Formats: sequence, structure tokens, C-alpha cells
Amino acid sequence: MNLSALRVSVWIYLAIFFAYLLGPLVIMSVTAFNSSQFPQATPWECLTFDWFGELFRDERILNGIKNSFIIGAGTVVLSVAMGLAAALMLTQIWPKLRATYYTVVIAPILIPGVVLGISTLVFWDRINRMLGLGPDSFLSNGIFLTVIGQSTFIASYCLLVLVARLQRYDTGQTEAALDLGATHAQAFRKVLLPFMRPAIASAAVLAFLASFENYNTTTFTFGQYPTLTIELAQKVRYGINPSISALAFIIVVLTVFFALLNESIIRRRQLAFAARQNKSVGEVTSGVKLPRFLSGNPAAIVLVIFCIGAVTIVGTATAYSPDACIARVTEEKRLEAEQRIQELREQREEERRQREEERQRNFEGVFDPEELEPGSDAPEEAAPEDDGDSGFGNVFDPGNLQSEEESEAPQEDGNTGFGSVFDPGNLQSEGEEEGAAPSDEEDSSGFGNVFDPGNLQSE
Amino acid sequence: MPRFLKEFFNRNGLGVGLVMLGLVLFWTIGLIILPQLSMLDFSFRHNLPPPAYGGPSDTYTLENYQYLIFGPEGGSQSFNSVDLRVFYRTIIAAMFVTLFNLILCYPIAYYLGQSKGNHIRIFALMLIIPYWINEILRAFALRIIFGESGVINTVLMGIGLFDSPFDFIRNDIALYAGLGYAYILLMIFPIYNVIESLDRNQIEAARDMGASWAKIHRRVVIPYAKPGISSGCTMVFMLSAGALAAPQILGGPSSLWFTQLIYQQFNDNNDWPQGAAYAIVLLVTCILLVLAIMRLFKVNMGDIGK
Repeated sequence: MNLSALRVSVWIYLAIFFAYLLGPLVIMSVTAFNSSQFPQATPWECLTFDWFGELFRDERILNGIKNSFIIGAGTVVLSVAMGLAAALMLTQIWPKLRATYYTVVIAPILIPGVVLGISTLVFWDRINRMLGLGPDSFLSNGIFLTVIGQSTFIASYCLLVLVARLQRYDTGQTEAALDLGATHAQAFRKVLLPFMRPAIASAAVLAFLASFENYNTTTFTFGQYPTLTIELAQKVRYGINPSISALAFIIVVLTVFFALLNESIIRRRQLAFAARQNKSVGEVTSGVKLPRFLSGNPAAIVLVIFCIGAVTIVGTATAYSPDACIARVTEEKRLEAEQRIQELREQREEERRQREEERQRNFEGVFDPEELEPGSDAPEEAAPEDDGDSGFGNVFDPGNLQSEEESEAPQEDGNTGFGSVFDPGNLQSEGEEEGAAPSDEEDSSGFGNVFDPGNLQSE
Repeated sequence: MPRFLKEFFNRNGLGVGLVMLGLVLFWTIGLIILPQLSMLDFSFRHNLPPPAYGGPSDTYTLENYQYLIFGPEGGSQSFNSVDLRVFYRTIIAAMFVTLFNLILCYPIAYYLGQSKGNHIRIFALMLIIPYWINEILRAFALRIIFGESGVINTVLMGIGLFDSPFDFIRNDIALYAGLGYAYILLMIFPIYNVIESLDRNQIEAARDMGASWAKIHRRVVIPYAKPGISSGCTMVFMLSAGALAAPQILGGPSSLWFTQLIYQQFNDNNDWPQGAAYAIVLLVTCILLVLAIMRLFKVNMGDIGK
């Protein structure tokens, strides 16, 4: 295959792949700034920051964040401790047992989270009963169960991270410390722990993130303490709105920020190391003179740009008010709805005229239900008061209440016994145009005509 | 005290040794083994109100497993076709998602593993960032995109491919895309780790000998990357078969995932033994399938998770 063609196809593939990977997150972030009630990027309505305000007013989300942090802290402590102990044990265990032991401690990664949650719940419930404790004891507390359930598999992640570092540890160091008179505890604390510190830090971060985002296990164990993920899942399942996008945007921004920060610090260290080795830093620095922190450090440059962007957004958010735009969109929608109503009305009139002609030809019309229609012109004027609420369509449009069914079933409007014999509308002449129902949706039929303002007049 | 315990404490000291041993035993026995056994035991019990535990009616039974296969006793059908179909569909769909992920990720992992340079770190970062975002939010993002007025429908209708919005959610396309999306990283990293250690000279030698591009992959790269491929596939398969969030958010209203049945048994029907039995069935089936496929491709358990 041609080499350049291959290269181009590789880049196209990479582009598609990363579009699949990052595209959803970008679009979700964008929806946080659209004023539409439903999270959507198209059609774009107005730039708004209101969803962030709504997010921070949401008690349940805030409470969920608090619970997530408590549970996350507990999980970090427990799973890092267990992971470290298990990693040390792995280096010492009887070789014949090692494979079995490794399988047991790695298995939780592969066991479905749902199964872990259920087994934790069932097991501790049984322990609780064996000890004769009540349903509100510590062992059936949601926080305790969630920490235990999550640590079961998060400790395996920690183990993998810690083992990788532990393999490079020279046990001679511990032996030397012991020979020099240190106790075992001292050797552990002063020699082994400092060596393991970077791995422990990454294991802790990993454990916290895994705990924070866990859903499958937590959903069975959380009890009275729903975490942020649980609250989000409930919200997403039962009616979504862009305040979730706002939260997602914040999480995406924080993630990108810390990832870039971490990356630029690593790069900085590498550069410092290279400088110490007397390698020419000049090679990496470009022609443009940059501050020292930024030189030859693309991640740091992106980080700075990113921070400037964030500050700009926050600055705009405080100064910008979307009210004018929202009002305009509402107005546009209102006009659109009005136009639709107008079209329908004309259509209706046309039909009526045709029927009228037919009727006159057939000498009918005196007891035609059409005449029983109690409507008047008043609600018709109120009809175009569409508030532009796209989520509800026109269900609450006052105009809808005067539905098409009206003419066919006048009994429904509360005048049952009398039909509409006493309807003042009857007295009106045939030629007069009565309330042509401006409804354009079938939904309205569900209400019957119970709320028809015209009904009140007809009494 | 047995000899190995004495040795152990000599090596680590009594205090450190005890803490270590305690933690490891607590984790392996108290958190991993006993809860699973307890769930297994529980799945053979009747669904009783708490006061009846340990009473005369607290006996072992197979009824929870019978329910999955034959449905409720005295039911009109001879098989519990609803639940069985959900189970079957879950397993097949999880396999399909795994295969899709493998095909999608292998070229990326190969590319990342074989090229050198700074941009690889950036790519790695771009891979990891989505994985740090909450699972629920990732599913939510896909739901926005695949929704009726979502970006994809807007684009497709803009091109003129469809006249009316295509319901991706009802057709489960959103679900499969979401499951694949959720576990991309777990597929890429094991394969990447293995391919990174593959000596480039091997590929060049094969090329010099006149092997075609496809043949190099079939005869050199894939056999070498087998441990990585199998551990990636195992993880993706187990996690997507056991996924709960994505099916709840992205699944169509008429199609269920087996984990959702388990969830219903626990939370809606309040029938814990039944839920435990379903969970056991899921776990055992998945493990057997993975072991069978590993046997088929001649991979060892020890390679997983490396």
C-alpha cells in the first residue's frame, strides 16, 4: 500500500475515533449553555448560564456530592490499605499458593458490580441478623455498606498500581534498616512507605475517582445516603434537563484542568532532569521566548490557554444576561404558534363553508350539533398566548381547551342534561363565525371541554 | 504457630505483620469469598419475611432457579420466555459489543504502541479523560446525541437520509454505542501495553521477507498481543454483561438488560433470593463463557490484569 495513503487513512481513523470518544462530551457541555428546556445543541436558542444557577440550588445534588465525598474518603483509606497489604503479601506468599491468591484478589475487577453490590448487601444483612442488631445498626448503614462494597473491587485496582512499583523495590533496603537497629514498624514507615509514596498517591486518586463514579455497586448498598451518581441516575431516568449538562460541564472542565496540570508538571520535571543532565534544552525550546514554566511544555501552554478560557467564561457569565434573547425566542415561538393557529383557523373556516353549503343543500342544520357549540369569541383572543414552552408543546395553551371534539360531544362540557339548548350561542345567526378551535394537537382532546372558558358563559 | 507464620512474622515484625495479615484476610475472606458464598446460599432460600429466618420454613429450595427457566408455578407458558430471552439477548449483545470494541480499538492500540513521540502522551490523555467522567454522564451524553432532536438526527435529516427522526433509542443502537463507548479504555490499554513491548524489528523482518500488511498482523502482531487482547476482551465482556447504568439510561422502553431484571427483583419486587439467584446465573455464565473462550484461544488466566 502507498505509504502516504496509509498515513492519511491512519489520521482519518484517529479523527473518527476521537470524535466518537470526545464528541459526546463536547456536545453535552455545549447543551449546558442552551436555554432550551431539553438538553439539546440544535436548534440553538440562547446562550444562558441559568442552568448552573439551577444546579447549585438543587439540594439533592449538593447532598449527593457531600455523601460522595464521605464515601470516597472512606473507600480511599480502606482500599489503599488493603491493596498495599495484599501487594506486600503477594511478594512473600508461598509460591504454590501465589497463582490462586492472585486470582482471588484480581477476581473482583471482573465480577459485575451488580453482583458485588448484592453479595455485600446480603452478607452484611446476615451478619447483622446473626449479631441480633436492628435494621438501623451500623452494619446496615448505607455509608458503611457502600464503602465496603466499593472497596472490594477498588482495592484490586490499587493492588495493580502498587504491585507495579513494589516490583522495583529492593528488599535489601529494609534489611539494611533492620540491621541498623530500626524496628519493623520504623523500617516500614521510614523506608518502604516513602518509596511507595508516588504509587500510593496514584492509587488513592484512582480509588477516589472509581468510588466517585461508581453506580452498579452503590445502587444496591446506598440505603439512606444517595451519592452524586445515584442522584444523577435518578434525574437522568426520570426527566432530564440541562442542569445535568451544567454539572457534566463542570466535571469535564475539572478533569481536563487536573489532567493538564499533572501532565505539565511531569513534563516540567522531565525538562529539569534533562537540563541537569546537560542535554541541550535549546532543542526543545522554540524560537519564541516563553516564560520558564511554559518553555518546551505544550501541556502547560494548553493549560494556560484553558485557564484564560475558563476565566473568560466566568467573566461573561457574571456580566451577561440572556433575558433579552430568551424574550426574543419566546416572541418568535409565539409568532410561529400564532401563524399556525391562523392557518388552522382558515382551514377550519374553509371546511365549515363547504359543509354549510352542503347543509343548505340538504335542508338540514337546525339541530346540527355544530350549533350547540357554546364557544364565543372571547377565548379565541386569548388563544395565541403561547408561552413558547417547547417542552410542553401547546398542551396548556388556553386555546386548546376549546377542542375539535366540542362540536361532536357537547354533553361533556357540564351542561349534560340540557345539551346546550340554552346556549346563547344558539341565538346567534348561522353566518356568524364561532370559536374555531385553534388546536393543532390531539393532546388537548384529553381535557374534554371542561375548562373551556366558553362554558362559564354558557351557563 | 506453624513455621510459615513464624517466618512471616520474623520477616515483617509482629505489629506490621498482624496488620498486613488482618487486612488481607479481611479483604479476601470477608469481602470477596464469604459474600459470594453467602449470596450463593441465599439464592437457594425462600423469600421470607425477616422474623421467619431460621424458622421451620427456612429450608433450601430450587424454586428461584426454576423460576428463571420455567416461569411462575402454574403459569400459562412452559418456559419463562421473557426472562430467558432477556438473558440470551444480554449475553449475545455483550459479545457483540466486545467484538465491536476489539475491532475499533486494535488499530488505535497498535498505532499508539508502535509510534514514538510527544503526541502519544496527548492521545493517551485524550483517551483517559472521558474515562474520568461519570458513567452516568457519559450515558447521558449519548442520550442527548441520539435523541429525537439530537445532533445525529439533525445531521442525518439535514443530509436528507431520513425524512423523520430515526429512533436510535428504541432500536437499541444508542445502547450498543453507549456500552462500547464506556469500555473503550479497558480494551485499549491491555493491548497497548503488550504491543508497546513488541520489538519493531520483528515487524520489519516480516516486511523484509515480503509479508503483506495483513499477514504481518495475523502472524506476528496478533499472536504476540494475544494476552492483551484476551484480557481486554474479558474485561469488556464482563463489564458490559454486568452493566446497569447504560441500559437503564439508553435502553429502549421494551428491551431490558439482564441486570435490570436483577435490579427489579431487588428494588421493586423485594424478592432478594430471586435476585441473588439471577445474579449467580449471570456471574457463573459469564465466567464459564470467558473460560471457554480462553481455552479456545489458548490463553492463561494469569495473563489477565497484567
